[in-house]
Amino acid sequence: MSKIAVKQKQTQTDEERSWNEFIAANPASAWMQQVREKGMAAFSAQGLPTKKEERYKYTDIARFEAGRYFPYVTTPIKTTGNLTHVTPISDDAPQWVRDWADAVPPGTEQYKDMALWHAANAFLRDGIIVDVPKNTVDEAPLEIEITGDGLNGFVPRTFIRVGENAELTIIERHKGQGAYWNNRVTQIHLETGAKFRHYRIQDNSSEAIYTQNTHVTLAKDATYEACVLTTGSALSRNQIHVELQGASAAVYLSGLNLLSGTQHGDTTITIEHQAPHCHSNQLYKTIVDEKAHCVFQGKVHVHQIAQKTDGYQLSNALILSNTAIMDTKPELEIYADDVKCSHGSTTGRIDEAPLFYLRSRGLSEAQARMLLMQAFLGPVLDNIKDDATRDVFSDLAVNWLEKLTAKKGK
Amino acid sequence: MLSIKNLFAQTAEDQKEILKGLSLEIKSGEIHAIMGPNGSGKSTLSKVLAGSEEYEVTDGSVTLNGQNILELEADERAAAGIFLAFQYPVEIPGVPMTTFMKTALNAVRKQRGEAELDAIGFLRLMKETCSTLGINEEMMKRSVNVGFSGGEKKRAEVLQMAMLAPKFCILDETDSGLDIDALRIVADGVNTLRSPDRSMLIITHYQRLLDYIKPDVVHVMAHGKILKTGGPELALELEANGYADYVKAA
Repeated sequence: MSKIAVKQKQTQTDEERSWNEFIAANPASAWMQQVREKGMAAFSAQGLPTKKEERYKYTDIARFEAGRYFPYVTTPIKTTGNLTHVTPISDDAPQWVRDWADAVPPGTEQYKDMALWHAANAFLRDGIIVDVPKNTVDEAPLEIEITGDGLNGFVPRTFIRVGENAELTIIERHKGQGAYWNNRVTQIHLETGAKFRHYRIQDNSSEAIYTQNTHVTLAKDATYEACVLTTGSALSRNQIHVELQGASAAVYLSGLNLLSGTQHGDTTITIEHQAPHCHSNQLYKTIVDEKAHCVFQGKVHVHQIAQKTDGYQLSNALILSNTAIMDTKPELEIYADDVKCSHGSTTGRIDEAPLFYLRSRGLSEAQARMLLMQAFLGPVLDNIKDDATRDVFSDLAVNWLEKLTAKKGK
Repeated sequence: MLSIKNLFAQTAEDQKEILKGLSLEIKSGEIHAIMGPNGSGKSTLSKVLAGSEEYEVTDGSVTLNGQNILELEADERAAAGIFLAFQYPVEIPGVPMTTFMKTALNAVRKQRGEAELDAIGFLRLMKETCSTLGINEEMMKRSVNVGFSGGEKKRAEVLQMAMLAPKFCILDETDSGLDIDALRIVADGVNTLRSPDRSMLIITHYQRLLDYIKPDVVHVMAHGKILKTGGPELALELEANGYADYVKAA
């Protein structure tokens, strides 16, 4: 479908009208224009995901009327820290970036629900390329800050390639004020033996929509460690798709979801073990209060070739009110016969026994709850191997708990 | 010091009456023991005194030095001077003993109108107390009761008791799960805390513990009330004859 074809439609959707304006205002080289057109065609054909899609059963994107956030503005992205291997996305982007941008989004074939990614492709322009050459160890982290401000949408795109035995750390902060839509797509490939630590702090404004898709592919012996702290956004969708393509690769995904008010936070993970001796671990801790709704969907798919797979998944949730909701859907799909896989999930209230024990020693109810909630979140924080980042996460989590406690005290 | 009059209590969940008109007077500096068969309501009494929300008091009164404690929350009772050494101390993964003890001690000090301790003051007191009770300080670096042996758990309870300086201590089946050596160590710890202005209530099945912690008064409890009160010799009598007479009696 070309842009002319879109224009000839009798009625245009908000998305189509703003896309036409975007295209007119942002001429691009042929490869980028092609990605945009394919993206818009796919997005127009599907529209925003609805609850009829299997992976959106618990998350009604349409309810948040993302369409009102078009047209897209320039992404408010700021990069600091180690910028040695960072370049902005441009018409002159290297061939590998062009190929990645043009690739079919992961999960498209099976689920046909990748409309958010298509929408990001349709507005491809802003973002960064990180290309770490082999055997390079970036000691200092690259920091990415994306700050939304008022009624608009943006698409911060990131392409990350970490070379053989190279190491990279990225800390992302998502924040802002007012209503906006941050529709993020990140593509990552780790070469043999590469290591990437990826930390995200999602503290968007309470009116924001934050949808993010991350696709990670790992070659032999590569390691991807990611931890996300979710405290922000009216709606957030954290979707991660990992392909362990080389033997003995490892992925560790963890996160804290701290939600209150009417917030809706969704974590949807697919991990594909496509090679033997790989390791995957998911650990998520959730606290939901008031009318907040948290969703955790984690799927581990072990292909027939992936013998000696180790796959673990654990989701624990604490529910603090009668109106908060936690939906959990763990899935194991195993086609190899020599694997160790497990999943577990718990959802409940703060236990009375430890609460009484602490109170019998003089702690007030608020103090006792605070200690128990900190202890509940602890294992995820312990997973963060970078000391400075662990402190940042820990402080933010404690800060959230303190605000919650203060609110309850009133 | 502690006065319990005609106490009735039931489970909060299904209104099952457990304490049925229990009365008890414990004077300053005295140690009382309550012995009784399983299901007599001994542990319920200890939890009711400490302020557990598992139970509701339906009648009667409990005063500590004249203060009605039934109106107080569990933490307010701790500040008022009540301490319960748990039969099964609760394991709390992720909460270090030191953090827990410092928070508890300062919460209690604050409620008692005493100055809170800073980190240095707290550590000094903790070291002193550990050394008095012969407790390895390494234990304080671990999470509350996690991975503790039966003996370590009970010693940690005594340590907490020592640090919180209560007026009235309840030891609920402190001997359960202890071998004879551990029992002696725990009992020694409790004995160092005996004082003319501190009273204790020891709840136990067996006479054994009372060989190490000598009570002034022994009570027999069954069916939710005290059926007989006597001196230390009553414990020996129970050990010889069992509880059968009391179980039938009510």
